[in-house]
Amino acid sequence: MNDRIIFEDVSKFYGEILGVNRVNLSIPPGITSLVGPNGSGKTTLMNLMTGLVKPSRGRIQVLGLGTDDSENLFKIVGYSTQFDAFPRGLTGFQFIYSYLCLSGITSQEAERTAWEAIQRVNLVDAASRKVAAYSKGMRQRIRLAQALAHNPKVLVLDEPLNGLDPLARAEMIALFRASAAQGCYVIISSHILHEVDVISDQVILLSNGYVVAEGQIQTVRNEIQEHPTQILIRCDRPRELAAKLFESEYMIEASIHNDGRGLLLKTKDADRFYLALNQLALNGIQIESIAPADDDVLSVYEYLIGNEEVVR
Amino acid sequence: MNRLWWTQIKAVIRLELKKTFFAKRGLWIYVVAALPVLLFIAYAVAMSNQQHRTARIARQGDRPLSYQDLHAVKPGMTKQEVTAILGKPPLNFHWTERRPTGPGAFDEIQHEDYQYSDGQNDLYVGFTDGKVQSINIHEGYNLGEDAVMFAGVFQFFFLRLAIFFGCLGIFMNLFRGEILDRSLHFYFLSPVRREVLMAGKFLAGLLATCTIFVTSEILQTLAFLWHFNPQTRDVYLYHHHGLEHAAIYLGVTVLACIGYGAFFLVAGMLFRNPIIPAAAILIWEGINPFLPALLKQFSVIYYLKSLCPVEIPVSPGTPGLFALLISNADPVSAPLAIVGILVVACIALFVSSVQVRRMEINYTTE
Repeated sequence: MNDRIIFEDVSKFYGEILGVNRVNLSIPPGITSLVGPNGSGKTTLMNLMTGLVKPSRGRIQVLGLGTDDSENLFKIVGYSTQFDAFPRGLTGFQFIYSYLCLSGITSQEAERTAWEAIQRVNLVDAASRKVAAYSKGMRQRIRLAQALAHNPKVLVLDEPLNGLDPLARAEMIALFRASAAQGCYVIISSHILHEVDVISDQVILLSNGYVVAEGQIQTVRNEIQEHPTQILIRCDRPRELAAKLFESEYMIEASIHNDGRGLLLKTKDADRFYLALNQLALNGIQIESIAPADDDVLSVYEYLIGNEEVVR
Repeated sequence: MNRLWWTQIKAVIRLELKKTFFAKRGLWIYVVAALPVLLFIAYAVAMSNQQHRTARIARQGDRPLSYQDLHAVKPGMTKQEVTAILGKPPLNFHWTERRPTGPGAFDEIQHEDYQYSDGQNDLYVGFTDGKVQSINIHEGYNLGEDAVMFAGVFQFFFLRLAIFFGCLGIFMNLFRGEILDRSLHFYFLSPVRREVLMAGKFLAGLLATCTIFVTSEILQTLAFLWHFNPQTRDVYLYHHHGLEHAAIYLGVTVLACIGYGAFFLVAGMLFRNPIIPAAAILIWEGINPFLPALLKQFSVIYYLKSLCPVEIPVSPGTPGLFALLISNADPVSAPLAIVGILVVACIALFVSSVQVRRMEINYTTE
């Protein structure tokens, strides 16, 4: 398929050390987040996708291109790495400009495109300063500018929000969303799960080099059978509601919310529980809202991987 | 060549040249390249002082002398006969030697030295008891000796050490330096074929080394010619093949940069520690005279020695191994040497191109 990023039985070993093992993925357009603790294989997966490392086994195709075809691959791929080193002595502008010149475009076009990219990451004022003198956040932004500069179809961003202040994070997230809305493939790795939750169309959960789960959050959550689904119902009489709901065979556990105006339920079959809820006569109990409480990335991550290194 | 590739190569060269020429860790290369220039400047200064002194002695003489006059003195002549031919000596020294002939007995022997000059060459005449005992003519210009001296510095210092280590410093760092700086991914993330990147880096290294060492070679030649007077300089350049030799030395310098550059480019990709390939290549080049004919051909110095215009004579007392290093027992013709060195470089570049395609960014293992 030429409209997907495909991993076919891909493994990568660094000598004796496992990078990733038996990865099979088909990544569609939109924002896809790679989630996992340190050493789980997120960066290896990104490096494999961009040809910076070669798979020990298996095959990778990025929109129909092999990862060893760097000449064509990087016309459609932009990669913002975690490597915090830059060619010596370059200013922010020169860094982007040189990168664009390498693609073979004219110097006028490279100059114009470089300024556009620098504007997109709000770094115009610092563009004439040496990158070596940049703060961590500025270096992050200039790397993003490099990845974005040639308007790639596939954006691979390794921890792109690290070191950014809240305002810059919001700007960058908006930028990623805009790219995804235009049909781009935005692949993001992040430790910050609530941000992943907010921005991702789909997630890939990694642990110890293996893909533990992939897909949309809700779909992944529904597949985790051993952890009952949690639902929060906001209402005026939670005790009465709990008593009524225990008549349903699908409810396992219920607890009154701390503020006394809600009920936290656990059910093994959310869909049937919702159907049963509709059929219950609730005797005038005012229900304000019903919402799943654990179909976010954080919960899925905790269920599948554990709570190590989770950043809420 | 694809036009896009050429544009990309030029972009790589522009980026690399700045790093190569102004890298702090490459400053020693300028020092190595400057050393033979300083040597020839020192030689020229010493020779100029000598010439000034010789000219002053000539001016102090009774009359102007010619080179033939200096050769007119023969052993056994008396002081009067010498003075009759050359006039009163501008400089003379005398001393008395007390030679023991028995217990408490000595013979007193009178020694006297006269020094004359024709303005360029010095004549030292030694008298013992009033008769000419020794004659020594010190020639101001000896183009043959000077050419051999230049060839010796070129072959044994400039080629084998300065260019060798200069190329090591520049070409091995083209990829290895970027891996150590953790900045190689900048290139690997751009839409450039790895082979094109390698070609760009090699040409940038070649441009840098050629600029540094060709400049050094030109300055060496200028410093070498500095102490000649205009007439001698013309004789050396136009009648003694000086100009031709200078052009050949420049060509050999460029070929040395190509050959060693290609070797060290591939070595920088294959080895993490530059000391190992440097030592290996240095030994390989050093033992070249002892290698079988087939293996000799996979060496840079084998071809470069064949191209050098002045053969360094082996003195009869030179130890065998050293004599073998100096002499070129099995030279090849100039066209074959040029083709040979280019073929060796192409083989090394082909290996580099295979290696660069296999390279991975894995800084943590470096």
